[in-house]
Amino acid sequence: MTANAHDLPRFGRHFAGSGESISSLGGGAIGGKAHGLLEARRLLARFDAKRHPRIRVAVPSFTVLGTEVFDAFLDANQLRSLALSDAGDRVIAAAFQRAPLPADLVGDLFALARDIKTPLAVRSSSLLEDALAHPFAGVYGTKMIPNNQLDPETRFRKLAEAVKFVWASTFSLAAKSYARAAGRELAEEKMGVLVQEVVGLRRGPRFYPDISGVARSYNFYPSGHARPQDGVVNLALGLGKTIVDGGRSWTYSPAWPGVRPPVAPPQRLLDETQREFWAVNMGSPPAYDPLAETEYLLQAGLADAETDGSLRLTASTFDPRSDRIVLGTAAAGPRLLDFAPVLVMDELPLNPLLRDLLAAFEEAAGTDVEIEFALAAPGNGPAFLGFLQVRPMSVPSAQIELSAADLDHPGAVVASEGTMGNGCWEGVTDIVFVKRGSFDAKHTRAIAKDVEGANTRLSNAGRPYVLIGFGRWGTSDPWLGVPVTWSQIAGARALVESTLPAMDVQLSQGAHFFHNLLSFGVPYFAVSHHAAHGIAWDWLESLPVEFETPFIRQVRTPAPLRIKVDGRSGRGLVLRPEAGSA
Amino acid sequence: MATKAFNSFEMAQAQFDKVALLLGLDESTRELLRQPLREYSFAIPVRMDDGRVKVFRGFRVQHNDARGPCKGGIRFHPAETIDTVRALAMWMTWKCSVVEIPLGGAKGGVICDPHHLSPREQEQICRGWVRQVAKNVGPVMDVPAPDVMTNAQHMLWMLDEFEVIQGGKYPGFITGKPVGMGGSLGRTEATGFGVIFTLREALRELKLPVESTKASIQGFGNVSQYAIRLYQQLGGKVVCVSCWDQTDQTAYSFKKDAGIDLDTLLGITDSFGGIDKTEAKKLGYQILPGDAWLEQPVDILIPSAIENQIRGDNAPRIHAGVRVIAEGANGPTTPDADRVIQDRGIFVIPDFLANAGGVTCSYFEQVQSNMNYFWEKDEVLGKLDLKMTSAFLSVSELARSRKLPMRDAAYVIAVSRVAQACHDRGWV
Repeated sequence: MTANAHDLPRFGRHFAGSGESISSLGGGAIGGKAHGLLEARRLLARFDAKRHPRIRVAVPSFTVLGTEVFDAFLDANQLRSLALSDAGDRVIAAAFQRAPLPADLVGDLFALARDIKTPLAVRSSSLLEDALAHPFAGVYGTKMIPNNQLDPETRFRKLAEAVKFVWASTFSLAAKSYARAAGRELAEEKMGVLVQEVVGLRRGPRFYPDISGVARSYNFYPSGHARPQDGVVNLALGLGKTIVDGGRSWTYSPAWPGVRPPVAPPQRLLDETQREFWAVNMGSPPAYDPLAETEYLLQAGLADAETDGSLRLTASTFDPRSDRIVLGTAAAGPRLLDFAPVLVMDELPLNPLLRDLLAAFEEAAGTDVEIEFALAAPGNGPAFLGFLQVRPMSVPSAQIELSAADLDHPGAVVASEGTMGNGCWEGVTDIVFVKRGSFDAKHTRAIAKDVEGANTRLSNAGRPYVLIGFGRWGTSDPWLGVPVTWSQIAGARALVESTLPAMDVQLSQGAHFFHNLLSFGVPYFAVSHHAAHGIAWDWLESLPVEFETPFIRQVRTPAPLRIKVDGRSGRGLVLRPEAGSA
Repeated sequence: MATKAFNSFEMAQAQFDKVALLLGLDESTRELLRQPLREYSFAIPVRMDDGRVKVFRGFRVQHNDARGPCKGGIRFHPAETIDTVRALAMWMTWKCSVVEIPLGGAKGGVICDPHHLSPREQEQICRGWVRQVAKNVGPVMDVPAPDVMTNAQHMLWMLDEFEVIQGGKYPGFITGKPVGMGGSLGRTEATGFGVIFTLREALRELKLPVESTKASIQGFGNVSQYAIRLYQQLGGKVVCVSCWDQTDQTAYSFKKDAGIDLDTLLGITDSFGGIDKTEAKKLGYQILPGDAWLEQPVDILIPSAIENQIRGDNAPRIHAGVRVIAEGANGPTTPDADRVIQDRGIFVIPDFLANAGGVTCSYFEQVQSNMNYFWEKDEVLGKLDLKMTSAFLSVSELARSRKLPMRDAAYVIAVSRVAQACHDRGWV
């Protein structure tokens, strides 16, 4: 159950300077995200912050629009039938933009825009986002606005547009598809909206945090000495969108912060680490597009970050003469984001803080947790770590054991030592795979469309399927994999990512769809073409074709496949119907 | 709804005198502000549909324009008098001042009853009115607006006549125009919503959760309808409304303890806000005498019809549970009733503060029209809320700090601003 808006202090028209960092507008529930932040705030009050004097930890100021405001908006403007129809996202979003806000909201919203002149994140906080079973995390829209226009009227208009954008995202095709897959009625959904100060610093035309990250207390892919219970952290420069969208981020175990990924030669790290980052555009106004989530976002490169002085905590330098990475940015040379200044050089004790926070939250929640955060570190004062989201993780508990030898099973269609999930699945007879012969990274957008078509056909027929492709499923960068959204593959029963010589990238390890995979119990397999085990392509290609496009093929097995994943060892198998047990 | 033997202007002057004393205004300032700066009284001959020519009496009173161009509505009413118009013009001055918009106060009227006039005849009255005062009104002098029994159509006829006379386009001449023809989004809702914005703040000060309150409302015209809508949206319950019955020429109150259903009632209401009592009865409403709205066991009374409705004779009948009176109408409470209300400790949101949403939005319309650039409804209502709330807080703060009744505090703020402007201009 999410908290009620009336449980929070009412918005007092002095949002920033009142000292009251959270408040509510309107009645009804406040939704999952806001609820999580409230819980985080309560726990932080008990957290021993004295151990970390160099970093102040808090939930950034926010006000939350209760779900009654959402209902009043839909009802007063008679938007429900359009919202629940199969009209396109832009049609719905445009209708929401045209509709006026409830009269009892606009004054407070105007006051908010009048009093605050720093960037705001307008984020969804829906009822279903609170559900542990099928959290609608990442399904709904978030809009960042610079909120730095001189006149309060413009700031108010942009804020109002952002609120309507988030409300409209409740009824996007992705949300509808997700709701269908989760067996939930979207008509029951109610959307609260968080208006939250963005954590970061202004650097010229950009506003962004020095570091954004996601810390999890349980690691599904422990490597080296790391254990699953040591957790895992992803770090990125700039806004957290890089991590959420599955872009390149730095992944490490909090127990072993100095251990670097086994990438050789070191020069390859230049290609495999984050090269671009997201920021709020504080400069020239962009093209007017209230329907676009990225209207006020921009992507910048490391050269911009160097100009901004924001590589101090995040970058190291490649020295081509010695062919090695020199920690920090004291030396000249190409920069790469390995976060060594904080993880190895202890410029800022971020990792000890994250470990303590994960432990404290895990203990309080009684389950593994995931924390989304952003850190701003001005050169002349203490750093600030802002909590953006805290939610419980569902960790599989069933005991499946697969040994290394099991992966040599002759009936293996897919064998992997890098899987996610845990358990056994049967009853799948369809496989959709991207064709090896015609694969080219330049066609990944077309491949995404073809996959969506197959997903729709199979979903409508009630047939779950195994999906096999190259590169990262769901990446926003079409050169790193197939840029699908979850709704385009929501009918998949298992997800396989493979490399090819022409697509030899670091696989996503399910990061893009992490919560979808977990909550729907969809196992994920990573298969490198270098690995000893892999995909039985010849067998797959010998099956009768059910459907085919230039890029993908759908085949059907004569009997159901068996899918097994050992969550502890990370090993997994997809077995042919006629194969014996493994 | 008694109107006999009551002189609004005398009441307005009495209120002013009281405040002038409180403020210690000098004699010349008092003299200047007790009277209108300018008055126009004129004949409007109209050829009626039956071929006869009938002469109507029209007025425009400009009370004070020290703070900016005059602003005020035009009333079509059979019982219109120059003194009523004078009083209303003075109240407009205070109203614009209390919400801090850069305008002065005016009012106009025509002695006529639109119920008995065809649209063509009404159009001729509108055009005739403008012809008589075209030289003395306009975007930088005096900006009229709709009022009792005038609407957007009347404003458009007047604008058209003004533009013909002036030979140009002057959308800022008049406000209350239809949306799409220079009107502002949110104007229709503005007065009623404004009443509730101030009521909401009053309830917060009194620590009364709006969801636990009940209200009884006099009038079922534009102001009441939108006031009811927003009040209900905030969670309050309206149990009684009264309105004028054109056929019976008397008022009735419509009561439902479970709370009135606004949309259903609107479905059985004529364009002047008269509810069909036969249909209402079928829907389970109790039909009570016109004054009964005043006696209901509620927390809030919202008189939103016409002036002189809560008087010394009926004020004692206000139910003991009433905590707030929000005056949606102009001058609904007489000074002797005010004393009764004050003794009872009822919190009053005075008319020229509570119903200033209309003129505030008119000002927004004027600004938009002069720019020929129009805002979204969200922006209009957002600004309106801020203006009204800010005005309410200034008044309540003064009332608290100087231990004044709310009406006196509002007058002190409004009159002192106008007096200061007159001083600054060197008039007095």
